Amino acid sequence: MNVPASASAASRATRDFATVSVGDELPTLTLAMTPTRVVAGAIATRDFMPVHHDRDYANVQGAPDIFMNILSDTAYCSRYLTDWAGPDAIIKRLAIRLGVPAFAGSTLTYAGRVTAVTPGALDGLVEIDLRVTNDLGDHVTGSALVNLPRAGATT
Amino acid sequence: MADDEFAAAIARLVGKPVGSGGPSIAPDPVNQPMIRHWAAAFEDWNPAYTDPEFAAASRHGEIVAPPLMLQTWTMATPKITGMAERGGSPVDLEGESPLTVFDAAGFVGTLAANSEFEIERYLHLGEVISAITVIESISDEKQTRLGPGHFVTWATTYLDEAGEVVGRQRFRILKFKPEGFAP
Repeated sequence: MNVPASASAASRATRDFATVSVGDELPTLTLAMTPTRVVAGAIATRDFMPVHHDRDYANVQGAPDIFMNILSDTAYCSRYLTDWAGPDAIIKRLAIRLGVPAFAGSTLTYAGRVTAVTPGALDGLVEIDLRVTNDLGDHVTGSALVNLPRAGATT
Repeated sequence: MADDEFAAAIARLVGKPVGSGGPSIAPDPVNQPMIRHWAAAFEDWNPAYTDPEFAAASRHGEIVAPPLMLQTWTMATPKITGMAERGGSPVDLEGESPLTVFDAAGFVGTLAANSEFEIERYLHLGEVISAITVIESISDEKQTRLGPGHFVTWATTYLDEAGEVVGRQRFRILKFKPEGFAP
């Protein structure tokens, strides 16, 4: 498992739009989806559906364990995008489709690839394909549109 | 519920606003404690979310809420007692809702399928967000790997206090008759 970025190690630099090309791959992120992560994400997004914190209730619904809520998926995808893009990036769009569930105890691997770049004068738009997998298959497939500044440009 | 009654109930839901018909107003303004809680849960150390000095010097100009927190601001304050008995609904259900109609017909399982956000602008501390949600479509019965079910699609528009759109979301769930997870 990759060591998660700590607060002190968080990058404060933002990626320069001019350095991004179609085909660039985002560094993969591996996350052990512990029960703690599932519950912490559900409550931080204010999603109290019991399938995300009550294993007995999840079992009644036919699931072997509690599983991640979709608000946590969009949250982790946004973190994955800005961990790469930097704090001055602006997320314009994020669209995800859920495939197999992410049960507590599974491990997720986040991958991303730049599929289009649209330059502007001071900044530019970067389109990124996202894919999150676990041992069952594709958990999330999706795409995002992120605005990145050009280095030295003031907005 | 008889089949024709169920079909009629579905037909009545489509195109209708969810809830009372008015916007759902966030119980709390965009605030630093909830942002910090969110950032810690997802280990998202983006300093634009929690470091005022950094944020002031950034493109954002001040602290901004994580853009994908948009849906979180207007989530209902939960009523913990009886949640499982209400089919997992965090609040008391009033009138005809997709959850009550589908639960009554045996489609008691709920699973999110799609979430698509367009972010018009980032939110700042103190803003009060509201959401207007309409049921866009309900699919015919589909055979899924979880069991027979219907896909329900909502379209939500998020507004600031001036009524300006700050973001849009299309959200799709599957309501199904559980036959066990068999991925």
